Amino acid sequence: MGCAIVVHVYGGTPTEATPQELICIRVIGASNCRYTYIGDVIIAVIKEAVPNIPLEISEMIRAIIVRTRKELKHDNRMIIQHDDNATVIIDQEGNPKGTRIFGANAPKLRQLNFTKIVSLALE
Amino acid sequence: MRLEKCWFCSSTVYPGHGIQFVRNDAKIFRFCRSKCHKNFKMKRNPRKVKWTKAYRRLHGKDMTQDSTFEFERKRNRPERYDRNLAENTLKAIKKIDKIRSDRASDHIKNRLKTGKVQRQKEARKQLEQGIHLVKAPLALAQDSSLCLPKIKVNVSQAQIEENQPMEE
Repeated sequence: MGCAIVVHVYGGTPTEATPQELICIRVIGASNCRYTYIGDVIIAVIKEAVPNIPLEISEMIRAIIVRTRKELKHDNRMIIQHDDNATVIIDQEGNPKGTRIFGANAPKLRQLNFTKIVSLALE
Repeated sequence: MRLEKCWFCSSTVYPGHGIQFVRNDAKIFRFCRSKCHKNFKMKRNPRKVKWTKAYRRLHGKDMTQDSTFEFERKRNRPERYDRNLAENTLKAIKKIDKIRSDRASDHIKNRLKTGKVQRQKEARKQLEQGIHLVKAPLALAQDSSLCLPKIKVNVSQAQIEENQPMEE
């Protein structure tokens, strides 16, 4: 359908102990998927890192997309667009690796049972 | 379901219309259509864009303060459903809407009144000064049937006096 974070596009991450930029490699749960929306888990590689973090450049990690610049169409026909592309780095079970989350989050995350992220998010 | 206001032009956004933009500081901007959305992306200030409500209110073109606006204030506490309340509210909405739009059109009419009077004055002056363009002044003087429209001839009183002796 539409496109969001195309595979191979940079996305910033909003968790606390995080690198600055990721590049998305693949989408989990879908083969040959071109585009991803908010709520999709991706495998990403860290391209740029803030110093003094447990994660380094060219480390492969899982992340979940929380904000996209491309509009997301909701079921109730509401169209929401964010200011940037952002992800939260998570581990295998879906718990965020960081301890704080910045920025607005979409209500879709709650639907998909990413409760830990939703509870950490401030807005 | 909630009817929102477009951030740019202040028109109502009905459900299923428009785009919402969430800025990173979690401020939500709602737009009614892509025209407003694109203007926002161009970083235009709605207070300077002539067709928006913000501009019109700022420059006194539209009514700004009225008691009918109090009814439209955003209330965040949901009311428990009461059939009578809902019925009365629906009736009130219609009436208040009518009152508000009447007052708004009165405001605009009053604002335009001074312009109308001014234009009439100018038109009369132009007629007096420029009648020579329409009819030569000599022709006006000679032919008494041609007269400037503003001259009124009062005949009514004389006619009444003449008629009375005839009837007798």
